[in-house]
Amino acid sequence: MLGEFEYLLITTAARLGDNAYGAAIREGIEEIAQRKCSIGALYTTIERLEAKGLLTTWMGEATAERGGRAKRMVRVTGKGTRAAKEFYDAVMRVSSGASWAVSRTERLS
Amino acid sequence: MTSNLWPLVELAARPLERDEREAVVGDALETGDGIWQALSSVLGLVLRRQLLLWKSLRTWLATFVFGLPGAYLLMIVSVSVTCTYDRLMGMKVGHWAPTGHEGFALLFCHIFLLIAWSWASGFILGSLSPKTLWLNAALCCWMVLICDDHLRTMTLSRVAPFLFLVPAIWGVYQGVRTVRLRRTTAFLLAATITVLMIAAWTNSALWIVNWLLLCPAWFLVAMARGSGNDSNAVQNKSMAARARSY
Repeated sequence: MLGEFEYLLITTAARLGDNAYGAAIREGIEEIAQRKCSIGALYTTIERLEAKGLLTTWMGEATAERGGRAKRMVRVTGKGTRAAKEFYDAVMRVSSGASWAVSRTERLS
Repeated sequence: MTSNLWPLVELAARPLERDEREAVVGDALETGDGIWQALSSVLGLVLRRQLLLWKSLRTWLATFVFGLPGAYLLMIVSVSVTCTYDRLMGMKVGHWAPTGHEGFALLFCHIFLLIAWSWASGFILGSLSPKTLWLNAALCCWMVLICDDHLRTMTLSRVAPFLFLVPAIWGVYQGVRTVRLRRTTAFLLAATITVLMIAAWTNSALWIVNWLLLCPAWFLVAMARGSGNDSNAVQNKSMAARARSY
């Protein structure tokens, strides 16, 4: 089962698709989750998820705005997608009946 | 975003592997982090990486089994060797100086042993845990300084620490580059050390605790690679991975 930050990272990487790399994922997490994401937490989690086979990474192109440095590109694997779905389903199941979940459903409808 | 202080961030990122260093520094530049924020982010990652290294048994072995005890014992032996040399050269040696009654032959035997023990210990530090080398070096220097302070009453030669530090540093360098010795080389080294130690022991010129210094040499034998193609391929792969990292 994924941890909360791992789920956030996989989801953000999946949303970014081919543009998923360190800085973009960090920005995405900070924007969606409204919380600070440190480079240390980001890269150690990426490495852990890669070791579990949930992500693959490779060095991408270098750009001028990065001072000629390459990006570390990220792609979610099939196993990563399944793990994220499991986490999502588990959160949905465990939340059903909770007051905040009901009010959220009502707000959405 | 660049600043005159940006080299500080580059410097802080040095302990990271090459690809990760490139990605992290590039990310900090792209997102326009301030210099202090970039510095703290990079240092945070370096710290996390260093802490993660301690999940490995190799790091613990390198530091607390071979590094620190080895540095302590080798410092004592190098003090003993310099005191014996002083005595044989007719210089005044303190009453508590760690020297026996051996002559030049056993002194040379001790010097060879000191070099071999130091080289073997350094090799293990370099090959077992290359990413914690700086920490191990700092801890070993601290240990040497403690010994030096403790033994200062003996009016020691300042040369004493260098007798083992130089071969140890050479061993570290070889360990980082070579990773594993050939089995025959490792066995010859361990056997030679053992024979010389037995010779010194039978002449009452060896402290019993010095036998612990035999462990690194035989550990090298246990870690050694055979001469087959498979082990060469593994060795080459490992060396290539290290070359990419640094």
